Amino acid sequence: MVRQLSGILRPVGGTERRAFRWMLILLALLALAVVVAVFAISTGPSNVGPDKVVLILLSKVPVLGDQIAKTWSPGDESIVLVIRLPRVLLGLLVGASLGLAGVTAQGIFKNPMADPYILGISSGAAMGASLVILVGVSAGLLAYGIVGGAFAGALLGAFIVFNIARTHNKFPVETLLLSGIAVSAFFSAVTYFLMYVSGHKLNQIVFWVMGALWNASWEDVLILAPFLLVGAGVIYAFARDLNLMLLGEESAAHLGTDVAKVKTVLLVASSLLAAAAVSVSGIIGFVGLIIPHMMRLILGPDHRVLIPASLLAGAMFLTLADTFARMVMQPTEMPVGIVTAVIGAPFFIYLLARKKRKVTG
Amino acid sequence: MTLIDGRAPDNRAPIEGRQLDNRAPIEGRQLDNRAPIEGRQLDNRALDVQALSCSYGDVKVLENVFLRSGSGECIGIVGPNGSGKSTLLKALSKTIKPSSGSIVLLDRDLKSFSQGELARNMAVVAQDTPSDFSFTCLDIVLMGRSPHLKRFAIEGKRDYEIAQASMELTSTWGFRDRMFNELSGGERQRVVIARALTQEPSILLLDEPVSHLDINHQIEILELVGRLKKDRGLLVVLVIHDLNLAARYCDRLILLNGKAIQAAGSPADVLTRENIRKAFHTDVIVRRHPMTGSIYITLMNPVSLEAHKCEGRKVHLVSGAGTGARLMYALVSRGYAVTAGVLNVLDSDYETAGELKIKTISEAPFSPITPEASAQNLESMKAADIVMISDVPFGWGNLQNLEAVTSLAGSKPVILVESAEKRDFTDGRATEMLDKLKAEGAIAAGSVDEAVARLASL
Repeated sequence: MVRQLSGILRPVGGTERRAFRWMLILLALLALAVVVAVFAISTGPSNVGPDKVVLILLSKVPVLGDQIAKTWSPGDESIVLVIRLPRVLLGLLVGASLGLAGVTAQGIFKNPMADPYILGISSGAAMGASLVILVGVSAGLLAYGIVGGAFAGALLGAFIVFNIARTHNKFPVETLLLSGIAVSAFFSAVTYFLMYVSGHKLNQIVFWVMGALWNASWEDVLILAPFLLVGAGVIYAFARDLNLMLLGEESAAHLGTDVAKVKTVLLVASSLLAAAAVSVSGIIGFVGLIIPHMMRLILGPDHRVLIPASLLAGAMFLTLADTFARMVMQPTEMPVGIVTAVIGAPFFIYLLARKKRKVTG
Repeated sequence: MTLIDGRAPDNRAPIEGRQLDNRAPIEGRQLDNRAPIEGRQLDNRALDVQALSCSYGDVKVLENVFLRSGSGECIGIVGPNGSGKSTLLKALSKTIKPSSGSIVLLDRDLKSFSQGELARNMAVVAQDTPSDFSFTCLDIVLMGRSPHLKRFAIEGKRDYEIAQASMELTSTWGFRDRMFNELSGGERQRVVIARALTQEPSILLLDEPVSHLDINHQIEILELVGRLKKDRGLLVVLVIHDLNLAARYCDRLILLNGKAIQAAGSPADVLTRENIRKAFHTDVIVRRHPMTGSIYITLMNPVSLEAHKCEGRKVHLVSGAGTGARLMYALVSRGYAVTAGVLNVLDSDYETAGELKIKTISEAPFSPITPEASAQNLESMKAADIVMISDVPFGWGNLQNLEAVTSLAGSKPVILVESAEKRDFTDGRATEMLDKLKAEGAIAAGSVDEAVARLASL
C-alpha cells in the first residue's frame, strides 16, 4: 500500500513540478488534520455532533462569530470549549512537536531509527517529573511544578549527552547515540529508585511516565505552542541542509552547508521541542519514530516536504490515538502512551523486517 | 645573430612578459614551470598554496607543500598510500584546517570564504557518495544549485536548465528519474560530477574519481574532465592512483611521498624511473606512447630468485626490430649480464636496451653495419658465456651480426629462437648460416620462454 501511495504522491518524472505537488499534499494533510480535530472534539462519552462542534468553534472567531445563531446547549459549549478543545489542541501540538523533533533527529543522525528521546530527553524528563512529584510542591502549583521539573530534567539529560558526545566541537552521531543510551540508563535507574521509595505517590509517577493527555489544560497549550511555532520555523529553515547532509557531512559542506552550525542549531531546536512536549504530556513513545519514517516512505526523503508533513501527520496520529485511548475502556481511559506503543512497536518491527528483506535481497 | 621574423628567439621571453620564475626554491620545491602556456598571467591565481602543512593531532601528514596554478589546467596529485594526497585535497576544500601555511583561492584567502561562498566557486567530487536514501538522480544534481539559492527558495527554471545541461554533459540525463541508489558505481560517479558542474564552480577537486570504475568509464570521466577544463576554463585538481592515466590527462603532476612533495612539474619530469622507484619502491619502464605521445609506465617484475642460479653469466644477444625486448627483460630480470648488438639507434630494441641499462654496440640510424661496429660486436660475443639470437629477420643490413655468430664456429653455446614467419631476406644466405649454426650444436628454441629455460639449464 505504501508503494502505491508513494507512486501517486511521488510520480516518476515529477521532479519539475514537485513544489506544486508538495503544496497540494500539505494542504490536503492540513485539511485532514482539521477533520481529525473536529472528529476528536465531537467524540466522547457524550457525543456532540461535528456540525455543532464546527459552529461552536466558529462562534468564538471574532467578527465571524457574531453571525452564527446559537443552536446548541450551554452544556455542549462547555464540553467542547472547556473539556475537549484544550485536550485535542494539546494532542495536536504534542504530536506535531514529536513528529517534528523526530524528523529532525532522523535527519541529523542520517538514521531512520533515531528519535529525540534517544538523547536523554525522555529519561531526564521522567526523572525531573518524578522528583517533583516525590518531593512535592503545594497542590496549587503541582501541575506547573511537574512541567517545570520535567523540562529541566529533559534539558539536563540532553545537555549531559551532548557534552559527553562532543569532540572538537563536533557531535559525531555514533557517540551521541551511545552516550544517549548510557545517560538514559542512568536516569532511568534514578527514576526507578524514586518510584521505589515513593510510597503512595507511585501511581502518580507511573501515570506520568506512561504518558497521557488527561490533565490537558489551556496552560499546557500555551506553554507548548510557542516552542512549536519557533521550532518549526527554525527547523524548516534548514530543510535543504538536511537533504544535503544525507549525502554525508563532507559532501554537505562542499555544497555550502555549515555542517557544525546546522547540527548544533537543529540539535538544540529539536531537543527543546521534545523537552517541551514531554514536560506537558509525559513520555509518549513512537510518534517521533514512526511518523517521520512513514512520511519518508510515502513522500520521499526531501525534507522540504518531509518536515511539514511529519508535523501534520504527528499531530493527527496522536490526536486519533488519544481519542481511541479516551473511548476504548469507558468510563475510565487508557494512557495514550500505551496506544502509541501498541501501534508503534509492530510498525517498527515491520520497518526492521523490510530493511532486512532489502539487505538479504 | 640572425633574426628570424625579426625576433631574436632567445630573448623572446622578457618581451612577452613571461617570467622565468627562478626564484630560488629555498625550502620545498616550487611548482613554477607554468611559463610555456602563452598568454596566461602569473597573477591570475586560481590557486596559490604556500608552505602548507597539515597535521592530525600531533601527527604531521603534510609538510611544506607549494602549488600555484591558473585556470584551465589539470593538476594531478600522485603518490603512494599515506603520502598525504587526500589530505592535500581536504585542505584545499577547507575540510581540514592546515596547521601552517596559506591557501589563496581566486586571489582570496581560503579562510575568508564562507561555506556557501566556497561552494559557489569550488566543487568537490568525493571518492564515493553514500546512497542510503531514495533521491532521484535529478534531485541529487539539483542539490548542486543549493549554494546559489536563498534560504527558503526553491529551484527555479534556470536551476533546472543548468542541472539538465550538466547531466547532458555527463550523459546522465537519461537516468534523471532513476533512484540514485540503484545506479552502478560509474553511473553514480557521473551523476556526482554532474552535481559538481551544477554548482558552476571555477575549481573542481576530485578525489580518486575513477578508482573503482571500469576502464571504459575511467576514460570517459577523465575525457570529460579534460573537456571541461578546456571549454569552461576550469582548474581541475585530482588525486589519482593510476600513473598512466595521470600522465595522459594531467597537465602537471605533484608527486607526494613521505608527506612532502618529491617532484612536481610536467608528467615527463615527474614520472621518471628514478622518481617512481623512490616513491613506490617499484621498478618501472617509462616510455612515450608512440600513438598518444603521453608518458606510459610499465611495471617490471621484481628481480627473481633465479638471479642467484645464473651467477652473473654473460649473455650476448643478437636481435633487432623489437624482437629482442622480451628476451632482454627476461635475462636482465633474472640477473644475467647482458650485452647486445649491433643495433641501430632508433631501433626499438636499442631503446629497450637503453632502459634496461644493457651495454649495446650501436650503429647510426638507418645505416648498414660498419666493420668497426661489427668488430666490436664480435669482441662482445667472445667476452660472453653464451650467445643468443632472437627471432629477428635478417636482411643485407644486419647479416653481419649472423656472420659474426657463425665465425665463433661452435666455440660457445648458442641459443636461437625460431621464427614462424619469414625471416630470411637474403636469398637464402641467412637460412644457410642458421642451419650451419644448428649443425654445430646451437640450441633451437620455439619461443622466448623456451629459450630462457634452455639457457637456465646450460
